[in-house]
Amino acid sequence: MRIGHGPATVIGETPKVRTPSRAAVAGTLREKGCGFVRLVFLAGLFLFLWPQIEMMVFESMLRAANGMKAKFWRHRLAEFCVAITVLFLIVCDGTIAGQTSAVHAANPQGRELTDEVGRKVRVPQEVDRVVSLAPNLTEIVFALGDGNHLAGDTDFCDYPAEALQKPHVGGPVNPNMEVIVSLMPDLVLATKSINRRETVNALDRIGLPVYVTDPHSVEEMVASVEHLGNALGVEKSAAMVAEDLRGRLSDLDRRLEGAAPRRVLFVVWTDPLISIGRDTFIADALRRAGGRSVVDTKAEWPHVSMEEIVRLQPEVLVFASAHGGNTQRDIDELRTRPGWKNLTAMQNGNIVVVSDAINRPAPRMVDAIEHLARALHPEAFASGAAPPSAESNSIVEEACACVH
Amino acid sequence: MRPLTLRRLLWTCGSLAVLLLASVVLALKLGAVPISVTDLVLDLGRIAVGRANELPTEYRLIVFDLRLPRILLGILVGAALSVAGASFQALLRNPLADPYVLGVSSGAALGSILALIIAPGFALVTPLGAFLGAIATIAGVYFLGRREGQLDSTTLLLGGIICASFFSAIIMFLLTTLSGRDLRGMVFWLMGDLSTPVSAGMQWIFTVGLVAGIGAIYSTSADLNLLLTGEREAIHLGVDVTRVKLVVYVCASLLTALAVSASGAIGYVGLLVPHAVRLIFGSDYRLLIPASALCGAIAIVLADTLARTIVPPTELPVGAMTAMAGAPVFIYLLRRGLR
Repeated sequence: MRIGHGPATVIGETPKVRTPSRAAVAGTLREKGCGFVRLVFLAGLFLFLWPQIEMMVFESMLRAANGMKAKFWRHRLAEFCVAITVLFLIVCDGTIAGQTSAVHAANPQGRELTDEVGRKVRVPQEVDRVVSLAPNLTEIVFALGDGNHLAGDTDFCDYPAEALQKPHVGGPVNPNMEVIVSLMPDLVLATKSINRRETVNALDRIGLPVYVTDPHSVEEMVASVEHLGNALGVEKSAAMVAEDLRGRLSDLDRRLEGAAPRRVLFVVWTDPLISIGRDTFIADALRRAGGRSVVDTKAEWPHVSMEEIVRLQPEVLVFASAHGGNTQRDIDELRTRPGWKNLTAMQNGNIVVVSDAINRPAPRMVDAIEHLARALHPEAFASGAAPPSAESNSIVEEACACVH
Repeated sequence: MRPLTLRRLLWTCGSLAVLLLASVVLALKLGAVPISVTDLVLDLGRIAVGRANELPTEYRLIVFDLRLPRILLGILVGAALSVAGASFQALLRNPLADPYVLGVSSGAALGSILALIIAPGFALVTPLGAFLGAIATIAGVYFLGRREGQLDSTTLLLGGIICASFFSAIIMFLLTTLSGRDLRGMVFWLMGDLSTPVSAGMQWIFTVGLVAGIGAIYSTSADLNLLLTGEREAIHLGVDVTRVKLVVYVCASLLTALAVSASGAIGYVGLLVPHAVRLIFGSDYRLLIPASALCGAIAIVLADTLARTIVPPTELPVGAMTAMAGAPVFIYLLRRGLR
């Protein structure tokens, strides 16, 4: 039924793959057939009654006009157009109203979970097909070893490489509902900081269960991994991944114990200068890596004035590597700009370019934190210190480069 | 100008209705998931004879629960915006007037942003906030636009434009200072977007409002023709100008408010469609109003189909499509009309 790996799904014939829940949905459609007849009847009644109602409403206006007959026919015509619209509307109204109930009735045997934003989600016992609506969720699904159950992801899901081969449902902010539905997911994953509320509401209306994560710190990211493991039915591998991540983080904490935090400016964007607020997971990642953001505000992604940064004089500038790999050129260009060139950190070359994994609350973020920690506190990682954990060797080399 | 006969009115509207039906079928067929026309026709037939249970579930979901409601919403929004645009052009006697010229869209946007800040968890927060914001703006602009007890076109226009820019400034302020809040949807909303389905109750309110609004404006169309020649002339010809202005202002604003709260500020339709209709069918409001409604519906349905299919599977906001596709068509019509 599915052709290649694109969203090219040809439908119109009875699908060959059917899970039990879907058969149940088909069963409930019989009731909807009756509902349709009822609606058509209602529409007919409305068409019959409407001219009378309209005559009453517009009688005074009609009387004011000259040429009674012509006006009358004009009204007939307007009413004809409107009645057709109303008829269509009633039909679609019925199909929507019926659908929600159909899906709810379809999986009474599912588990009810509460997601990270407090919504109740009914998840089927076995989750065979998952659609991820954010790159970090895709990474988590793959980290849990559940990548073969991933039915679709977004255009921006570029890690791991297999994620690129999955059918794409569009961008995270405006995914295509049709493609999501055509992938027949048992569960859709979304994250509050990336996806739109409207998307989640729309999926709710169709009756597809959506699990929404909302991590605000590294620890919550690890908890998200466990929650998703629970939702996807892979608790064991989730526990292993979480244990591994927590072990590495506590190892990092041990090494950095007593080290004074470096004052850091994390640059999200340069034109205009956007940094991070204190409640973001990136701020938490900086803390974990032995840094402290000089920007301390409640807003999540604050626009910061250059004057303020020159006054604060951060010790280290941290950039996330861009996809195109032009970060070095960008930094060289920034070095010539007024404001930037007045920063001591820029003059001394205290610049760290960290993997863009730090922007994604997913397991790979811990790799980026470890690299950042090494760059900020090289003394803590000298040979005399505690032995590095085995995992930290597996980090890809290009993930981080200490500039200068 | 050719005189308007009943025959011509019926022919025009009838052929436009057929065109609308054709564009609906086209919009049902096209999308990220391809569907053949024969299957579509067969399945429409199956649904008509009450054998809907034979259809595959996700097919039903895609065509009848995702595409169809969106198309219907597009029809309603397109009709509402075009009629509102045509009405404002007559009311303000200004060819540049569009449904948003009196600040309704900015007020609605501000309303929904404020609602998102006050009650972020509530599901209907965006449409409801938008509607309340639009209503507040309509009332405010109405009082600004009154001079010596009655609506004055110039004062109304200036009041509306000032309100619009004031609200836009506040929106910009809120969007930059509250970047952390869940306001990502607002960017789409400001461009106009049909991808968010509206609830069943909203659809009912919308339909009733649309019928009442278009009906009331249509009942004044003969008066609008006279009003276009000038306010004084219209009074001399026996038009109750004060009443006509009030009816048209309130109804057109309500139509805009409804459209904006359902789909965000879809631009250009309300400006271009009435002008295009005028260039093709003449400027008699008795024909212009129904023809604008139908043409607006066709325009939005086609623009949204384009927005859904031009770079699959990504969906563009329909507002971007209406602007991109609308401007060249309009320039063509304008040049043709000038010759």
